[in-house]
Amino acid sequence: MSSIAFRRRAQLGLLLGPVSLFLAIFFLGPLAIMIVTSFLAPGLYGGVEWTWYPHNYGRILGFADPMFEDFDPVYIAIFLRSLKIAALTVVATLLVCYPAAFCISRLSERWKNFCLFLITLPFFTSLIVRLFIWVLILRQTGLVNAVLLNTGVVARPLELIYTDGAIVLGMVYVFIPFMFMPVYASVEKLDWTLVRASLDLGAGPIRTFLRIILPLTAPGIAGGAVIVFIPALGNFVVPAILGGAKVMMLGNLIEQQFLAARNWPFGSALAMMVMSVMLVLLFAYVIVSGRRGIDAATGR
Amino acid sequence: MKIFASLARGSLIAYTALFFAFIYIPLVLIAVYSFNSNPINMMTWTGFTTEWYAQVLGFKTTVSENALYIESTDQLVQAVWNSLMIAASTTTIATVLGTAIAIALYRFDFFGRRFYRVVMFMPMLMPDIVLGIALLIFFVNAGVNLGLKTIIIGQCTFLISYVFIVVSARLAGMDRTLEHASADLGAYEWTTFRKVVFPQLLPGIVGGALLAFIISMDDLVITYFIAGVDVTTLPMFIFAMLRRGIKPEINAIAVMMLTFSFVVASLGLYLRSRQK
Repeated sequence: MSSIAFRRRAQLGLLLGPVSLFLAIFFLGPLAIMIVTSFLAPGLYGGVEWTWYPHNYGRILGFADPMFEDFDPVYIAIFLRSLKIAALTVVATLLVCYPAAFCISRLSERWKNFCLFLITLPFFTSLIVRLFIWVLILRQTGLVNAVLLNTGVVARPLELIYTDGAIVLGMVYVFIPFMFMPVYASVEKLDWTLVRASLDLGAGPIRTFLRIILPLTAPGIAGGAVIVFIPALGNFVVPAILGGAKVMMLGNLIEQQFLAARNWPFGSALAMMVMSVMLVLLFAYVIVSGRRGIDAATGR
Repeated sequence: MKIFASLARGSLIAYTALFFAFIYIPLVLIAVYSFNSNPINMMTWTGFTTEWYAQVLGFKTTVSENALYIESTDQLVQAVWNSLMIAASTTTIATVLGTAIAIALYRFDFFGRRFYRVVMFMPMLMPDIVLGIALLIFFVNAGVNLGLKTIIIGQCTFLISYVFIVVSARLAGMDRTLEHASADLGAYEWTTFRKVVFPQLLPGIVGGALLAFIISMDDLVITYFIAGVDVTTLPMFIFAMLRRGIKPEINAIAVMMLTFSFVVASLGLYLRSRQK
């Protein structure tokens, strides 16, 4: 018995060991160092000073080091704006995906699979290319303005690109598959006999939607909202391409701290803000959906 | 009432049609306008040309100098080459490690199994800018020179998650009676694995590898932070081009990339749908 047990042990160690080591060093290690860095003082020429310095967070939240830097509400404004844009992205993506999920779930097996294929396909194509197309469409000499000018709807080109709206549009475009898949999964499982029963018992369509359909598809909506919100909040590619220099989000601010301003501790503190929001969201999701929710989400 | 029902049905179908139009019309537009000869205003049609493609591929063209990025073709080729090398390495490493942990979590019951399952999702959920800067700080503190090596390591951290998920899904859907039959008939454990488990698992592994390859080729944010100054990948190259201003060559590059990933992804999804 002991030799078999030993062999199983050895097998398990062989399977788990390398991955554990790799992720401990190159995933958990970097995160730990980033957390430490966010509490250190920035050096004069871009380095780090090994002294306790909570003022990195102070610059964001309002207790800045008076010797070095004043509190500037611009950072909290950028944080709030990023939250707002991420939230708008979630709502817009949901509005785009939810009705379509109902329609597709009622199709025949063949068409259903084809539609799902069409929705996942863009996920495999270059993100940056998909965003670039919207630059061509939205910019001053872009397609929308060309059409509007030629048809005489507007006299001067509209400012479409480099706005919050352009960023939300770009995010919706790239995050559609993230929202659609979880929403679709719960829409497809929806028990239509309950809907019919509700209608037969005299509830109107709106009431049936609010009392039956919405609660039953809520898990999918919650899941989609979380996995769209998280990458939207810290996104830096979309604002960099469609927001220009005008619209600053957390992602751009972090990039700036690392590559231009070279204030790594402050950049780390900002990244910690993004990570804390993510952890809070995941925690809330786990609390709400419970153990079964985790098991469903992690595929068991 | 019946009229309302069919009206609702009709508008739902129309909405879904719009939904697909929203996804695909931009892609069609760029494909069409990549053949537009207008060198400045790319969305105003002035005639058909294949010059932009010729230019990108390094053929001689009559395109005037100021409509071009200088130095493009050589750097583009180098960027594509870098991306392919990185993707090949990361795919190999991530596939081996991701498959190993998927098998371990499926086959063995041990303390901390649930914890492992949650941890395996973390790299994928972590916002890429956070992971990117964390890796940058880590590598700089550890005194590692930034370059191909750091990109490969950095990408593997989250690609393992993707492979893990795809392979786990395959494992969960597998028929274990065949394994038991093999064991009952006296096959060694290793033989059973090689002849029974592995062939069943293979589509999952290939699917995971393909996904890892495509995501690696497309990764911008994490690579951007840990690439250092000497190495440029394809997404970084295009990002830099976009920041310098938009010229028609990008259209041609974009369409070629779209075509490539459409072919690879369609092939992968097709194979997967046949295996089910």
